[in-house]
Amino acid sequence: MTELTLGRVSADRARLLRLLQEYGVYLGVLVLLLVNIAFTPHFLSGENFRTQAVQVAPVLVVALGMALAIGTEGVDLSVGSVMALSTSLISLYLGYGVWIALLAALLGGIVVGLANGSLVAFVGVQPIVATLALMVAGRGLALVMLPQLKQVNDPDMAALGSGDLLGVPYLVLIAAGLALLVAFVVRRTTFGRQLLAIGDSRPAAQLAGLPVRRVLILVYVLCGALAAFAGVLATARLTASDPTSLGTLMELSAITAVVVGGTPLSGGRVRIGGTVAGAVLIQLLTATLIKHDLPPSWTQIAQAVVIVLAVYAARERGKR
Amino acid sequence: MLSVSGLSKTFPSVRALDGVEFTARAGEVHALVGENGAGKSTLIKLLTGVHRPDPGGTLTYDGREVSFATPLDAQQAGISTIYQEVNLVPLMSVARNLFLGREPRGRLGLIDFRRMHREAERALAELGVRVDVRRPLRELGVGAQQMVALARAVAVDARVVLMDEPTSSLEPREVATLFGVIRMLRERGIAVIYVSHRMDELYAICDTVTVLRDGKVVHTGPLAGLDRLRLVSLMLGRDMDTVQDEGLTKFTGEHDAGREPVLRAEELTARHRLSEVSLDIRPGEVLGLGGLLGSGRSETAKALAGALPVDSGRVTVAGTRVRGGSTPAAIRAGISLLPEDRKAEGIVPGLSVRENIALAALPGLSRFGLVDEARIDRIVDTFVKRLRIKASSAHQKVGELSGGNQQKVLLARWLAMNPKVLLLDEPTRGIDVGAKAEVQKLIDELAADGLGVLLISSDMEELIEGSDRVVVLKDGAVVEELTGDQVTEDRLMRAIAAPAGESRD
Amino acid sequence: MKSTAFRRRTSARALLATGLLTGLVLASGCAKSEDEGDGDKKSSAQEGGEAAASSDTSGGETCTIDAYGGKKLDLKNATVGFSQSEKEANPFRIAETASIKAEAKKRGVKLLTANAQSQFSKQISDVQDLIAKGADLLVIAPLNSDGWEPVLRSAAARHIPIVTVDRKINAEPCKDYVSFIGSDFVEQGRRAADRMIEATGGKGTVAILLGAAGNNVTTERTKGFEERLKEKAPGLKVVFKQTGEFAREKGQQVTEQLIQSKPGIDGIYAENDEMGLGAVNALKGAGKKAGAVKIVTVDGTRNAVQGIVDGWISGVIESNPRFGPLAFTTLDSFAQGGKVSQEIVIKDSAYTEDNAKSDVDKAY
Repeated sequence: MTELTLGRVSADRARLLRLLQEYGVYLGVLVLLLVNIAFTPHFLSGENFRTQAVQVAPVLVVALGMALAIGTEGVDLSVGSVMALSTSLISLYLGYGVWIALLAALLGGIVVGLANGSLVAFVGVQPIVATLALMVAGRGLALVMLPQLKQVNDPDMAALGSGDLLGVPYLVLIAAGLALLVAFVVRRTTFGRQLLAIGDSRPAAQLAGLPVRRVLILVYVLCGALAAFAGVLATARLTASDPTSLGTLMELSAITAVVVGGTPLSGGRVRIGGTVAGAVLIQLLTATLIKHDLPPSWTQIAQAVVIVLAVYAARERGKR
Repeated sequence: MLSVSGLSKTFPSVRALDGVEFTARAGEVHALVGENGAGKSTLIKLLTGVHRPDPGGTLTYDGREVSFATPLDAQQAGISTIYQEVNLVPLMSVARNLFLGREPRGRLGLIDFRRMHREAERALAELGVRVDVRRPLRELGVGAQQMVALARAVAVDARVVLMDEPTSSLEPREVATLFGVIRMLRERGIAVIYVSHRMDELYAICDTVTVLRDGKVVHTGPLAGLDRLRLVSLMLGRDMDTVQDEGLTKFTGEHDAGREPVLRAEELTARHRLSEVSLDIRPGEVLGLGGLLGSGRSETAKALAGALPVDSGRVTVAGTRVRGGSTPAAIRAGISLLPEDRKAEGIVPGLSVRENIALAALPGLSRFGLVDEARIDRIVDTFVKRLRIKASSAHQKVGELSGGNQQKVLLARWLAMNPKVLLLDEPTRGIDVGAKAEVQKLIDELAADGLGVLLISSDMEELIEGSDRVVVLKDGAVVEELTGDQVTEDRLMRAIAAPAGESRD
Repeated sequence: MKSTAFRRRTSARALLATGLLTGLVLASGCAKSEDEGDGDKKSSAQEGGEAAASSDTSGGETCTIDAYGGKKLDLKNATVGFSQSEKEANPFRIAETASIKAEAKKRGVKLLTANAQSQFSKQISDVQDLIAKGADLLVIAPLNSDGWEPVLRSAAARHIPIVTVDRKINAEPCKDYVSFIGSDFVEQGRRAADRMIEATGGKGTVAILLGAAGNNVTTERTKGFEERLKEKAPGLKVVFKQTGEFAREKGQQVTEQLIQSKPGIDGIYAENDEMGLGAVNALKGAGKKAGAVKIVTVDGTRNAVQGIVDGWISGVIESNPRFGPLAFTTLDSFAQGGKVSQEIVIKDSAYTEDNAKSDVDKAY
């Protein structure tokens, strides 16, 4: 009798745990929203939501690419440096017009992605090592191109950074659009399915004749391009190119958003909705702590706690 | 020296060992043989303290009943193990590796390097190995590394030495050295337990043999008087006197094979694995690949499917050469492989039945990179019905299905590609009896439809009854081809048992 | 195991990837930035506030060549070595190096320079090289405070006077080195507070954008600011203290949160110009008018001073990088046997509405 009850309790617990893993991130967002509505002055205002959405936009764009990389059981540590590279390239090429500058920035991200992908797919370097190399080299390169912060006075860039359409900032529209696009790619394209299969079981994917190398390279190229684009968005918002500090620790924020959002580090699964919620969760957490003027060290500790929780959840999920 | 009695080991789902009796005597080389899943590795792990036996079994060592809690316990008691893969520290010097964990210490507790190097040189010289003991281990060849592992095993005053397929990556010359060392150990009164599949080696070096099958000891006794054929039949569990006329399997037997081969492999060679393997597969025929474990059957299938890069040799499908070392190229040419390790290399466990079936055919089921869901649904539907795949829905994860249904999903994945040749590596292993019969029937039907099939099976009955012809492999080379009336268990076992060099008569 | 053909293809692709990266580096060669062509006005800024540099020798211990050891010499016939810590990439370093070079040129002194590119080991060997090349006196902008023993030993052996600028080294003054010339960061904080009190009228609430955590500049600039507020304007309260990591983007993000949760904030003290400019961005984005929130920053870069001209910033306290005149004056009087202070504080100027327009070209 006791054993029976125990068995049921643990089964219930397991189900609860699984539900938390699946939907915990949404619950977290909800709780933070309620806490802030109750305790933070002036929280419930359009302006405030706009601020949070605008601040989270570049992080989310990076996290989308990161979700793809993690889906293949990889990771891309070079995203922050790609943002720096992108911001340098924008400043350097703005003289040719905003479109050329945008193209240059994206190309920069694509090239880094190609290098990352080739190292991972052809040379067989561990993703964490391959992208670490470019994480270090990328920012160095960015600083060679543009050694110091530089004002960006282009009106189009300024409009991109602070303009809106029917009250919704461009940055937010773009990030949302990209999230939908990436979700579509993951769900509906051959590439998306192959990516998941490779992440779930690379030997099986290989023996099934999947173009494993091509898919891996494309994943890192997309990740690089998205990070570069996030660099463009951040530059537009700042109206300055700041390769020294733009995107520092971005890889951690992005990985946290993805993992908190329920994408397992063991690959084979990509949750875009969860990634969006994960990015929002971190943003709200930071905002809450700042708004209540808690000591800056608390912010770091809180973020660490979230990461630990996320990794714990991922580990549970990994056990499956 | 070391003996076990009534030893059993049960894992959550299987009884790996069942009342095993086994004795290794001092000054004797004892061969431990058996096919995959016979329980050899479990027995080794019990002897070396990796696993604990079920209650009831006793382990006697040096006249006393013992129980080893950890591998270290066993090691300290004097039981040394040499694994297939050398498990030493590649970056440390040869001498450090030899004395790892028991380095000679000087007065201050520091390592006395001079003494260590001197002793290391002496220990290796005794085994006939002359190397600079100061060099890192990884600079040595695999054979020499194996010798260092052996020297280490001997140096710790071992009284029992366990060798698990020690020759699998050795050159013939190195094998000779190894045998010399084993003879020396025997003379010193050490008990050697030797695990190998290589018939010739067993007869060259071993005194006694114990044959395991399905977790039980089916034979134990001196090797000298034991006929090779008898040994093979013991391992495979087939009695050579009672070869059945009518099979229990679902195979019908003969197919009307086309004359021109659909697949032709010429002299496939891969170092240490395959040497000049040539074979033909005709459309509408099932070609069996016979041989013991480790004879190169799976390697041949993988080489054909582009999953194992070959050093030389060529594969042609319908007269066109297939680029080697590329799975996609082989698949495009019409070669599909159902791999031996279904769980690790076949299914994608986290994806649904539907996605698994559509996986290989995906590019063909897409337009501009967008998946055509309706077409996938039609194909999945067709195959789920035709192969009678039992799943709660097409969206169930494949990892949750039974082995037989997983295998059917894999078959469906390949049939959706319309292949010309199907390579089946152990298609019925680990699946229940009912599903086994279904899969066998399916293979038969596929061949009848004109597909060329290559069948690998450790189940002798399945192989003999399912195949129209059988190519027999041994040590990575073709030793015999059985056709027509020759396809019998008796002939197959004779071919496997024949000593090296005498196989073709 | 892989066939050679395959391996060749792999390395070819790896090579391609490398080539692409190289291309990316070269691509910066044909870049064309927004404001190409007006970059040659900079020189005036660098020669700017020479006059601003003057020493504050009151109090503190002094040092003479007799106490330090060595022979008197005439600076005109001597060689001075200058070791810069970081690449001249940010305005501060550019101005610092330019000031040293300009002063050497003015005095007709032979100057050897080296740049450690932010690598401490390189700085050590740089200084040893300078000594080997015949430097009689040294000016060092140290990257680290610790780890100077080997250099100090070889300098002491030849009795080479050393002056360190902008950062102290952990060693004994007047024994291992002559003196240290730098800014007083606490004083900068106090002066920022004075400016803030003036701008806000001494009443209301202010926020502080802190620099990077664990940095002595952050602690000292905060300390001076808070002490002076308490002392002079108890009606002005610090209600918000968050780090902006000395970066513009972080300054902007934190200020955005701030002005939503505390819309009535009267002033923002940013511990460097970049965070202050980030705060300006945030205020602009929130639709605030210039001057609605008083911003005071520290450093004195041209962009911030321009911010005063545009009405967004109320005051900029300078952290003076122009060590040239002071460093050479000190070395000169020391070499001729004079008494010099072991710790010399460089005079930092300040920019307000009154002088910003006229002095914006002096800013670095």
